Amino acid sequence: MFLATRAANPLLRWSYFVEQWDRIAEAIFQHVQLTLLAVGFGFVISAGLAFAGMRYRWTVTPITLFAAFLYTIPSVAFFGVLVAYFGLGLVTALIPLTAFTILILVTNILDGFSAVPAAVREAADGMGLTPTQRLFTVEVPIAVPYIINGLRIATVTTVGLVTVAAIVGYGGLGGLILDGLRRAFWTPLTIGASLSILLALLFDLLFFALGAWLTPWARRRQKS
Amino acid sequence: MAAATWVPPAVHWLAQAAVPRDITLGEWFTDPATWTGGSGILDSLADTLVLVIAVIVVSVLLAVPTAALLAHLRKAELGSAWVVNIGRAIPTFAIAGLLVPVSLRAGYGFEPWPIFLALILLTVPPMYLSTYTAVKQVDPAAVNAARAMGFTEREVLLTVELPLALTVIFTGVRVASVQVVATEPIRAFLGGDGLGRYVRDGIGQNNPTLVLGGTILIAILAGITAVTFVAIEWLAKPPGVRRLSGRRSDRTMAVRKQMVGT
Repeated sequence: MFLATRAANPLLRWSYFVEQWDRIAEAIFQHVQLTLLAVGFGFVISAGLAFAGMRYRWTVTPITLFAAFLYTIPSVAFFGVLVAYFGLGLVTALIPLTAFTILILVTNILDGFSAVPAAVREAADGMGLTPTQRLFTVEVPIAVPYIINGLRIATVTTVGLVTVAAIVGYGGLGGLILDGLRRAFWTPLTIGASLSILLALLFDLLFFALGAWLTPWARRRQKS
Repeated sequence: MAAATWVPPAVHWLAQAAVPRDITLGEWFTDPATWTGGSGILDSLADTLVLVIAVIVVSVLLAVPTAALLAHLRKAELGSAWVVNIGRAIPTFAIAGLLVPVSLRAGYGFEPWPIFLALILLTVPPMYLSTYTAVKQVDPAAVNAARAMGFTEREVLLTVELPLALTVIFTGVRVASVQVVATEPIRAFLGGDGLGRYVRDGIGQNNPTLVLGGTILIAILAGITAVTFVAIEWLAKPPGVRRLSGRRSDRTMAVRKQMVGT
């Protein structure tokens, strides 16, 4: 039954990169596209929810509970239920991925803005800043490290979850993993899995760098 | 190609008994054939439960004693932060996928070791983190009082720190366990079965009813798991601690916040 020799089916055949480069490139593109779309939509929704939460304090608990509920929906079930409505493809893949980012992003954004000391806020008001000016010149810079941290975790988590979206036929590198498993052909499996892990690490580094670049004062304070 | 005569071991995926496409959800759930037999709900549920319980037990045994001891000794704090960061970056599906050929070559078959190990990697970090912070945050006055009364370090850990930390530890275990139940269904796409099989077969057979039925089953199990843990949590708590502890939702939020990085 299992007649394939190690030579015929190695864990990774390097020539596959050349032979199937188009396929790999498409998978990487799809993976990045899904990740950015999910985190992008997730961020817009979360920012809206977080502002609602700051404006009307009582909404914070229901918002967080709802986000936590979304976060605990089993991924396979979430993708599965949407297949019935949107078929296989981008939309079905994107909705759960977006939903999973909201808890992470909302809590981090809210934490960022609650990290603004009341005295700083009052000082800004005292200096005659309008609420909008106060928001963008005082509160946002203080909240930025928290927001970047939230984006970083959300992105890394999403890169991992995108692979699961392969079950609805739109999972970037997950498609290579699933194909490798279906055919018990290890090369695409290894490539898909390794590249998705590398991609997660890459995004992690990217956000780390972005955080350091956006908040130079944090570094300066550490040095002195 | 050398593998021309080779039958892939995953071939049974294609050999699933087809469910008629025009079946309604009610008909599917009430058909006795849905529940019994090798691909029935009862067997699939048993498959899932065995794996989930094994993962939870093993990861608790791995994470909780280690974290409690290290936190008591105030050791490996940097290590703890590191463990958690790695844990979040772990994509369960990719890891389990990478382990499949390894498991096959070592003679352990397609299943269930890859998904088992991947799920362990998923749960150990949050359990470790919640235990570590829980033990570390025990009121030092209580710990010092115990020491002054002549408790040995062992007694301090076992009779003072652990009971006081128990609530938070349990919350961490619960949140991680719900994640295991939520993630386990991907096993059906890794050559195994379990409750995820209906979603897989439904997608494969282009049968939305089957997909929805499987989705409902997975969601119900996740819900039951959460409720069960809340019950165990309440029952297992020492009565004294039960009186002390604050509102449950506050603690849940605190632990969840750690897990999502704030």
